[in-house]
Amino acid sequence: MKLAETAIEPVRKTRRVGLTSEEAFELFTRRLETWWPLSDHSVAGNDAVGVVFEERVGGRVLEKTRSGEVHSWADVFEWDPPHRFLLSWHPSATPVAASILEVVFEPAGSDHTVVTLEHRGWEALGEEKARTLRDRYDSGWEGVLDRFQESVGSAL
Amino acid sequence: MTALADDTRRSIFEIVQDGPRSVREITDLVSVSQPAVSQHLRILREAGLVEARAKGTRNIYSVSQRGLEPLREWVETVWEDVLDAFERAAEKKGRSE
Repeated sequence: MKLAETAIEPVRKTRRVGLTSEEAFELFTRRLETWWPLSDHSVAGNDAVGVVFEERVGGRVLEKTRSGEVHSWADVFEWDPPHRFLLSWHPSATPVAASILEVVFEPAGSDHTVVTLEHRGWEALGEEKARTLRDRYDSGWEGVLDRFQESVGSAL
Repeated sequence: MTALADDTRRSIFEIVQDGPRSVREITDLVSVSQPAVSQHLRILREAGLVEARAKGTRNIYSVSQRGLEPLREWVETVWEDVLDAFERAAEKKGRSE
């Protein structure tokens, strides 16, 4: 599997939550299904009914659909509860176009946590979309996202 | 035809992703002629995927941050949505910030 290079600036986001790092880590991973916006961000859109985070190195993040299909979003490369995990992220693509998703949980005081999410190599998502959509469009990058969202319903 | 629909052109883009390269360096890594490489680079440049800067008598090609802006914005939006949802769930569970 070729991991995406990091010639492009990663996307990085930080949030502070009123949970211990153990609670925040568990909410993000084991209890992913209780909060992830599935209809907006999944392979199957409105037909996605669940998602499970397999809590180990080599585990996967698996979306389940109404019809029983399973889509793997990611492979767990690094697993270090309650501090950090790192995934090979390929939500609707073959592993050839994986990017890296790293989430770090840092305690801030006794009952707060700073959660930092970094998505590296995300430009690989664009290449994959260009490949799968190349028969459907002939415009530039502006059209990629519109067409992608039309055809797969706001999938990742 | 999209900028990355051609296999050779996509290979060239991936080479440039590895790090900035001159036309000669790229040509050494692919199985087509230098004029063909230049042609592919011109198409990638027009698509906003790569950019060139002069270094002495050579042009050095690198990935264009600008061309990927629409995709970056979308990726940013996805993670904003996801983290908004995570924050709401955290607030429900714990002490709100």
